[in-house]
This record gives sequence, C-alpha cells and structure tokens, in this order.
Amino acid sequence: MRVDGVVTVARQEFTLRIRAGRWRWLLGTWFVLVSAFTVLVHLSVRASFHDATNKGVVVYGALVLFVLALALLVVPSLTGQSVNGDRERGTLATLQVTRLTALEIAVGKLVAAWGTALAFLALALPAVLYSVALGGIPVSRLVVVTVVVALLLGVVAALALCLSSLLARSTTSGVLSYLTVFAMTVGTLVVFGIGAAMSTEHYTEQTSCPTRQDLVDQGFPPEVLDRALADCRSTTYDGTRARTDHVWWLLAPNPFVIVADAAPQLPKETAAERRSRLSDERAGRYHEDLRHSDPLGAIGRGVRDLRKAPGSDTGRKPVWPFGLAFDLLLGAGALWLTARRLHAPSRTLPRGQRVA
Amino acid sequence: MAEPGVVATGVRRSFGPVQAVRGIDLTARPGEVTALVGPNGAGKTTLLLVLATLLVPDAGAVTVAGFDPVTQPDEVRARMGWSPDVFGLYDNLTCREYLEFVAAAMRLPRPTGEARARELLALARLEDQSDQPVHTLSRGQKQRLGLMRALVHDPAVLLLDEPASGLDPRSRVELRALLRDLAGQGKAVLVSSHLLADLEELSDRVVFVDRGLTVGEHAIDALPANTAAHPWRLRALDADGLVAALDRLAVPHGDPTPAGVDVELAGDEAAADLLARLVRAKVPLVSCQPVGGHLEAAYLELTR
Repeated sequence: MRVDGVVTVARQEFTLRIRAGRWRWLLGTWFVLVSAFTVLVHLSVRASFHDATNKGVVVYGALVLFVLALALLVVPSLTGQSVNGDRERGTLATLQVTRLTALEIAVGKLVAAWGTALAFLALALPAVLYSVALGGIPVSRLVVVTVVVALLLGVVAALALCLSSLLARSTTSGVLSYLTVFAMTVGTLVVFGIGAAMSTEHYTEQTSCPTRQDLVDQGFPPEVLDRALADCRSTTYDGTRARTDHVWWLLAPNPFVIVADAAPQLPKETAAERRSRLSDERAGRYHEDLRHSDPLGAIGRGVRDLRKAPGSDTGRKPVWPFGLAFDLLLGAGALWLTARRLHAPSRTLPRGQRVA
Repeated sequence: MAEPGVVATGVRRSFGPVQAVRGIDLTARPGEVTALVGPNGAGKTTLLLVLATLLVPDAGAVTVAGFDPVTQPDEVRARMGWSPDVFGLYDNLTCREYLEFVAAAMRLPRPTGEARARELLALARLEDQSDQPVHTLSRGQKQRLGLMRALVHDPAVLLLDEPASGLDPRSRVELRALLRDLAGQGKAVLVSSHLLADLEELSDRVVFVDRGLTVGEHAIDALPANTAAHPWRLRALDADGLVAALDRLAVPHGDPTPAGVDVELAGDEAAADLLARLVRAKVPLVSCQPVGGHLEAAYLELTR
C-alpha cells in the first residue's frame, strides 16, 4: 500500500462528495441542530438549578450523547454505497484496472468517509466549547471523549464500507448499515438484558450464631447473654440474583457505554473549593454542585458496577477498553474484508453482479 | 517472458452453470489490429475481462504484454489499456480532472499526467470541453473520453470492447484512423465490435468466436472462401441493361434498387465467373461485393 495511492482515492472521493451538492444543507442542518440542542439544554439546566455550580457537566454530558446518537445516524449514509454505488455506476472496474491496489482503494474510501464524519464532528465543536465554558469539564475529558467518538465513527464508517462491498445493491447495504448501528446500540442492550436474565442464579446465605465473646465485645449486658445465645437460630436466606459480572461484556461494544465509561472522572472538590463552599453555606448561600449529576459518570459507574461480582469489594473496574478494542478490531476486520472484495482478478462475484 | 501482445490459449470461464467461455484461443500481435467478432453472448466481453485482469479464468494460459494477468496483475495493468462496452464516468468531474485522476491512479508523476491529459483531450477533440463537467458531454463525446482513459499511460496493449458504439460517422472514421495509428506505433490492439464494415477496413486479423469457442482466426485479406450461396450486390451505370444481361444469362436476381441488384452467389469464384460473363456482355459494371462486406459474409458463414 502506498500513501499517494490512498491520497489519490481519498481526494477523488472528497471532490465527488463535495460536487454532489447537498452537503452545505446537510452540514448546516447538523450545525443548527447541535447548537440549538446545546442552548436549550443550557436553558433548562439554568431554570432547574439556578444557583448550581459546574453546569457544564450536565450540558456537556447531554451534548456528547446527543452528538454521538446523531453521528451514528449520519455516518452509515456517508459510506453506504461507496463500493456498490461505484459498481452500479460502472466506475469500479475501470478503477480496479489502474495500478491502485485493492487496499489503497479501500483505505482511500474509508479516509474520505471518516474525514467527512470528522467534518460533522468539527461542526459540533463550537457547541462543545460553549458547554465546556459553563464549567466543570476538565480538558482531559474533552480530549478523551473527542478522540473516542472520532474512533467509533471510523469503525461505523468501516462497517458500512464493508457492507457496500459485500452486497450488490446500495439500498440493501444502506439498510444493513443502519441495522448494524442498531445492533451496536440497542442490540447490545437487548442481548445484555437477555444475558442478565439467563445469568440469574439461586443463592443461599447462612447466618451463623455469634459466640459469647462476640456479644461481650459488642457490649451486650451479661444478663441478656444467655437468653440471646439460647434464642439464636442459624438461619439461611435464599433468593435469586443476576450475575451481571458474567455478562457485562455484552454491553461493552455499545458506543454510548464506551464513550461514557472512557470519559475521565471529574476531579474531586479541591480544598479551596471546599473552603469557599463552606463559607458560602455559613452565610446561608447554598449552591448545588452539578458534578454530582454527571450523566457520563453515571453511565460509567453503572456499567462498572455490573462488572463487579456480588460481595466483592475490589472496586470498580473499567469496561471501555474491552469495548473499544472489540469495536476497533471489528472495524479493522471490515476494512480487510473490503480490500479482499475489491481485489481483482476475482474468482467469484456477488450474486447478480456484473464485473463491469 | 512470452511474446508481447496478447496470447490466450484454451481459456475457459463459467459463471455458475453458465459457461461463458468454453475454449477461446486468440493472439493479438504488436503492430496489428485484431478484431474479435462473434454474436452476442459468444464470450467476447468475458474474455476481455480475463485479459483486463478482472476475472480469473477457470482454465487456460493467458499472457498480456508478456505477463500473466492473474499472478502479475500490476505488471499487466501498467502496460494494458481497457475500455469496457458499458462504463461510467464520474459525472461531477471535468474531463481534464478525470484524465488527471486516471493518470494519478496509474502512478504517473503529476506533471506527466497533466501533459498527458492535455494531449489526449486534443486527440479526442474535447479541448473545448476540458473544463466542463463530464455529465454535459454527449454520448459520443463520453465514449471518446472513455477511450482516452484507456490511453492515459500509453499502454502497449489496448483492449477495446465495442469502442464505436454511440459514435457518429465522423467519430467512427476518426476512431479507425486512431486505432490504425496506434497499431502503427507498435501497439497490439484488440477490438471487439459488431460493426463489421468498420472492422473490415481497420483490422489486420480477425478472430471469430461463437458460443464460447474460437471458430476461426484469419488474416483479413485471407478470409475463408465461403461456398454457401450468399447475396452479392451488383451495380452498373445502366441498371436496366444489367437486369437484361442477368436475364439473358439466366441468373436469378432481385428487383433493382437504387443500391443495385442483388444476386445469390456461392463464394468468390462464382462471383469472378459472373463478373467475367457480364463484362463480356458489355454491361458497364461499377461494383460487385458481398452484401455487408466480406467480413459479414465470413461471419454469417462461421457463426451459423
């Protein structure tokens, strides 16, 4: 694979995309939608928590989830017909007989699609910075979340590209791209729900009677000791519980889970902040700290709790590295498969498809 | 290294149960225009796809410009230009951008690609349309642009599938001149077409294929003598005199038309014999040729 080959393909795709028109409207609509959402969330937060500090935490969190959802809707359409559309228009075969390799064509097309997705992301940046300016979001979170969202959009673009190379009809591959996104988002939730239900186990726990010494240590008066020990019966509790620690990984590929869990935790209240809060409170001014209402943090804590075994107190372990690694491998596999499908001369053809 | 040009022996290729090519042998030599002729579905396009490094043949040996299209596709692509029968262009690019893109895809340095695009646009008489989007071109202009695409990297082997379809008469004449010129430069040119009259004037050799098989491979001036009765067309300065002479000689003939009078003749010798007798009868003959040309006659004979 040569870089100039990739650049040739990507530049060509970009030019065609831009010339095809509609982009100004699409990008404009996106920008208006994202900005309006941010302002509205800000207004509603200001109305409900007038005196609260760190309002940015809530606005930013909501915005990230909104942008991710919207981008997952847009990205499949960017690559949905990249390969089979070329086949339908009769431009693929003449590209394959050039000296560009199949991998160069595949990567070039992915770069163009991903680049377009990143252009959408860049247009959300003013809204993001607006929300960050409301306070409470550390730079580390801004950077990590942006990078992770960008990577996930690349994965979705690679999956859509792969489907367009596998299927003869661009309408079919378009629909399947959306189903793939649906599987990653809603599908992982459903499968996790089913998995959690199936992981349900029956458990019993036995309580044992204390020894005399235990009771003495706990400060029971001597006159009730005999009575208490005589009345004590060892009891067993039983019940059912879902062993989500066996099935948590089913949720891991979910883009929302990955982004929320990968978002670095908010810094604890500093000594200076604490002093100023306490002095305000002494003066009768109470400010709610919206760092306690962090949407991303809540999702992250939620999935980490699912990973914990019952009764273990090893602390919460992150889920996102597994999900991100899985999704990136999926994307790399999709790219590899696309390149294989673009390889010529070919032995087999998709059903109902002409070479040229 | 095998001899350059195109050498294909025993090529087979099927698509599922359909055997598109069942055994085609073909040679296209450098410096010659080779015509690939056969009915629809004879396997011409499939064969060209094999030669153009797009399809792996099920069997057979193929070299294009001395390389194997299956194991050395990049070497072949660097030396081979292919223009399919049906192709798309990127509608929103200008003609110049399109050719420059192909040049970049052929890994030509940028200045070379730009110079080449200029040359080819001039060759295709598309200079005035250089900076117009491709979708504004007429069908014939698109066809010419598609042919120029195949020439961007100055290939030694040219594979053209129906290059004249959609071309107006003037463009067809120019295409013939261009292909002769390219062969004159030492390129091996392989053309598939149904326009037999064009091919007859253009080609050095002709390969007939039918139902996936090669049924004949001939120099154009040594087409097989066909013995089956076939319409020939006679023209004379005096049509009535011609008809009268034919009646005297008891040769069955059709009604005279402005194009001439048709008679059924079994091959070249029969034609020569009739001509001699008509000349002796003092008929002022102007022309005598198989209806549709020699190539058409051979084609109809071979692909019966």
